[in-house]
Amino acid sequence: MYLLNLSFLQFLAVFGSISVFAVALYLLDRSRRRQVVSTLRFWVAAEQPAAAAHRRHIQQPWSLVLQLLSMALLVLAIGQLRWGAPMEAGRDHVLLLDTSAWMAARSGNRTLMDLARDRARRYLRALPARDRVMLVRADALATPATAFEPDRRKIEAAIQASQPGATALNLDQAFAFARHIQSQAGGRAGEIAFIGTSRVADPESAAPAPPRNLRVLLVPDPIENCGLRKIGMRRAAADPGLWEIYVSARNYGTRPRNVNLALDFGPGGATGRVAAGFQQLTLPPGGEKEASFEYRTEAAGILGVTLSPHDAFPADDRAELELPAQPTLPVTVYSDEPDLLKPLLAATPRVAAVYRKPSEYRSNDTGLVILDRFAPPVRPTADSLWIDPPAAGSPIPVRRVVEQAPFAGWNSDHPVAAGLRTKDFKLDHATVFEPAPGDARIGEVDAGPVIVARPGHPKIVVFGFHPALSAMRYELATPLLFANLLRWFSPQIFRRWEISGGSVGSVKLLMDQDTPPQAVRVTSQDGSPVPFTVRDRTLDFFSGVPGPVRVVAADREYLYSLTLPEIGDTRWEPPAQAPKGMPHFSLGLDTATDLWRWLALAGLAGLLAEWVLFGHFRRFRQTRVLHPVLLRSKASDPEEVRR
Amino acid sequence: MPSAPLLDREFLEKLERLTIQWQKSFPGLVGGHNLSRFAGAGQEFLDHRNFHHGDDLRAVNWRAYLRLEKLFLKMFQVEPRVPVRMLVDISQSMAAPHEQKFEYARKLAAALCYVGLVRLDSIEVHGFSNRLAQRIFATGGRHRFPGVMDRIAAWELQGATDYLGAIREFIGTYSQRGLVIIISDFLDDRGCGRALEYLTDFGHELMLLQVWADEDRVPPWTGELDLRDAETGAALRLDFDDVARQRYTRAFDEYASEIQALALRSGGRYAGVATSQPIEDLIFGDLIRARGIA
Repeated sequence: MYLLNLSFLQFLAVFGSISVFAVALYLLDRSRRRQVVSTLRFWVAAEQPAAAAHRRHIQQPWSLVLQLLSMALLVLAIGQLRWGAPMEAGRDHVLLLDTSAWMAARSGNRTLMDLARDRARRYLRALPARDRVMLVRADALATPATAFEPDRRKIEAAIQASQPGATALNLDQAFAFARHIQSQAGGRAGEIAFIGTSRVADPESAAPAPPRNLRVLLVPDPIENCGLRKIGMRRAAADPGLWEIYVSARNYGTRPRNVNLALDFGPGGATGRVAAGFQQLTLPPGGEKEASFEYRTEAAGILGVTLSPHDAFPADDRAELELPAQPTLPVTVYSDEPDLLKPLLAATPRVAAVYRKPSEYRSNDTGLVILDRFAPPVRPTADSLWIDPPAAGSPIPVRRVVEQAPFAGWNSDHPVAAGLRTKDFKLDHATVFEPAPGDARIGEVDAGPVIVARPGHPKIVVFGFHPALSAMRYELATPLLFANLLRWFSPQIFRRWEISGGSVGSVKLLMDQDTPPQAVRVTSQDGSPVPFTVRDRTLDFFSGVPGPVRVVAADREYLYSLTLPEIGDTRWEPPAQAPKGMPHFSLGLDTATDLWRWLALAGLAGLLAEWVLFGHFRRFRQTRVLHPVLLRSKASDPEEVRR
Repeated sequence: MPSAPLLDREFLEKLERLTIQWQKSFPGLVGGHNLSRFAGAGQEFLDHRNFHHGDDLRAVNWRAYLRLEKLFLKMFQVEPRVPVRMLVDISQSMAAPHEQKFEYARKLAAALCYVGLVRLDSIEVHGFSNRLAQRIFATGGRHRFPGVMDRIAAWELQGATDYLGAIREFIGTYSQRGLVIIISDFLDDRGCGRALEYLTDFGHELMLLQVWADEDRVPPWTGELDLRDAETGAALRLDFDDVARQRYTRAFDEYASEIQALALRSGGRYAGVATSQPIEDLIFGDLIRARGIA
C-alpha cells in the first residue's frame, strides 16, 4: 500500500495541519459564545455545575473523531492511496531533448533535430502505458515543455513542436533540473533519458555529475563544420573614418579546411551591396584563426561577413553587423580673425568648422556657433560660445572689467574644466561676469568668474577674455579647455564605438574605464532593458534570443550583434554505467488497485454522518419536529379542561 | 420606499368569515354574537310585559290593545357592544434572539383587529411593556383597517416587561369588563400569574396567545455561553450541551403549561405558537379549536 501523489511525510504534514485546524475549530466552537436571550429563567434551570462551566474541553469527542477520520480518508484519497506494491505502479520519467543550436545541423537530408525527435518518439512508445513522462527542452536553459503527463499524444505533440534554439547545450543544468523535478513530483522516479548530441557548451558542463537513473540516447553527428566564431570592429584611433575589422573562424570538424572569408557592405537587404574585403584561411581540425580587415566608410550600413564554402550547418556561415554613421559637429565661427581659432578647432577631427565674417551673421545656424568679440543683434538659436563679448550684448551680465588680474583657478568639478590645473598666468584685460544661480563658474580671477557656462537649451559659454590673445595662448590648458567645451556641447561626437558579432548566450565585456553601474545601459533591439551585472570593470549579461544588444557606458557604446548560433566546443562522454539505447521495460499487468474513489466516498459519508448525528442537521430537526407536537398540546379546549 | 403591509389582501379575505368569540355574559353588555338575557333597545323581539306609566308609547303593541283592550309593551334584546381589548407585548424580550416574535405578534394583532372590524366589534389595542402605551382604537368597520394596520406596523420595542404595573394601569383605565386578548411571550421575571388573576378577578375574560421563537424553546447553541437578558441586562455564563438543552426545554414547557392552566381555570383560552408556524395555521387551526375564534 502506498501513496501515489504524496510522500508519507507530505501526508503527515497535510493531515496534521487539517487536524490542528479541526481541533482548533472545535475548541473555538466550544468557547464562550455571547448571546442575547429573552429571559434567563429557563437557562438557570439548565445550568451545569460551576466546575464544568469554566472548563474548555471538546464537548463531542466522537464527533471530532469522526471528522478527523473522514479528513484522513479524504487526504488519503487526494494522495491516491493504492493497494499493492510500489514496484507495480507507474513511474515518472524525464525526457531531456537536446534543442541546442547544433541540432539544426544536417546529416544527410535530415537535421539532427529530426533524428532526435524520432528517438524520442521511439523511447516514448517503449515505456509502459501507466508511466508518466515530462518533456524538457535542453539548451542553455532547461525548459519543461509538459508536466508529468500520462497522455502520449500530448508528449508527442510537444516533441514535434521542439525546434533547435540558438544556444549551446548546458547539460549540467539540464541534469540538475531533471533530478529536482523528479524529486518534487512525489511519485515513483523513473529514468532521466537524454536524447541529443554530446556537444556541450563549456568544459565544466562536459563532465557533469550524471544522475544514477540516466539513460543516454545519443544522436550521431559526424558532421564537418566550419563557422564564424566572433567578429569585432572598431574605428581606428588615428583615422576615425577607418574601420578595423577582426573575424574569427573555427573548424569544428576533424579534417583541415580551406575557407574563404568575404566582407560586403551596404544597406540592409541583398541589393546595393559592395565587396569590402576577402581573405582565404586554412583552418586545422578543431582550430581557430583570425583574419583582420580594414574598411573605410563614414556612412551607416550593414557589414556582412560570409564564410564559404557552405557546409551542413549553414547557420554560422554568415553574420551581419550594423555600422553606425560617424557623427560630426558643425561649428560656425563669426570672427574677423579666424586664424586665432582655427588651430583649436582643427585639433578635433569630428568638427566641421565654417568661418564667416560678423557681417554675415545668421541666427539660425545649427550645431555650435562661436562669436569672437562680437554681439549679434539676435542671439543664435543653437549652442553658442561667446569670446570676450561687448558688455552691452553679453548673454551673461558684466560685473566689471579688470586689468592685470592673476588667474585664480578652475572649477574642476565641472566637465568643461575637467583636468585643467594651470593657473600661473595673468590676464591683461578681462571681463568679470555676474552669473545667474544656475550658471557654472568655470574659471575665475579674484574679482569673480571670467568663464561662465549656462546649461539648458541652448547651452551657452562666455569667455571674459580671448584665450588666443592672452597669456593663456601659450598654456596647455587652452586646447584641453576647447576639447572639454566641444565634449560638453556635443558629447556624441566623442563617443567611441565598438561593434562585435558573436553568438547568443552569456557575454562578458571588459570596459576600458571604471563606470558606475548607473551610467551603464544595456538594451535589446526593441529598446527593452537587458539585465546585467558590473563587477570591477567587467560587465556580464545574457541574451538567449538572437539579435543586437546595445551597451552604453559613459562615452563608449558597444554594439553586439548576437546573431551567430552558439556551438559547443566540447564533447561530453556519457558515463559507462549509464544504459544506452532503447529500453525494454516489462509490460506486466498493473496489479495495484486505486482506492481513492472508495476513500473519498467513505470520507464524504463520514462527514455526512457527523453532520446528521452531531451537527446542525440534528438541531434543525429537533426544532422543526418538536414544535407541532407542542402546538397540538398547547391549543387547549376549555371543555377538555373542565373534564 | 413604503414598507410591506403586515397582512396581504388574500389572507384578509380568508379572515372575513371569522368572528371573535367570548364565553362570558357581561352584565349590561350582552350582545354581539351571544344571545342576551336582558331586554332593552334593539332590533330582535324578546317578550311582552304590562305597560307601566312612563313607558315608551312607541313600544306598545297596538294590535293586542285593539284585540284585548289592554296595554302590552314589546321588549327587545339589547345589543350593546362587548368591549374587546387587546394587549400586545412590545417589551425588549420580544426582540430576542431576533425580532421574529415582535413581527409575529404585530401580524397576529392586526389579523384579530380585522376579524373584529369585519363584525363591527370595537377593539382597543394597546402595546405594553411596564405600562400601557400606544393605544389604537379600532372601530367602524373594515374600511378602518388600513389605518389600524399602519399604526400597529409603526410600533417600536420599548422597556422591560412588568405585567403587574401594566395590568394595574389597565384596570384603572377600563372599568367596563370585556374580553382581553394578550399577545406576549409572557416572560416577566416577577411572574405574570398574579397580574392575570387580577384581570379575571375583575371579571375580564382572557384569551392568552403565547408567542415564542424557536430558539426560545430549543436553543440551538452548544458549548460555553455568555448569556445576557434582553430586558434586564443580567448576565449568565454556563456550559450548554444536549442534556442541558433538554432541561431547558422541559422548564420552558412547564412554564407554558402554567400559563395555559391559568387561562383555562378562569374560563379563558390559551394558544402557544412558535414563530415558525404560519399565522394562518394558528388562526384557522389552534384558535378555532380553542374556541377563541369561530
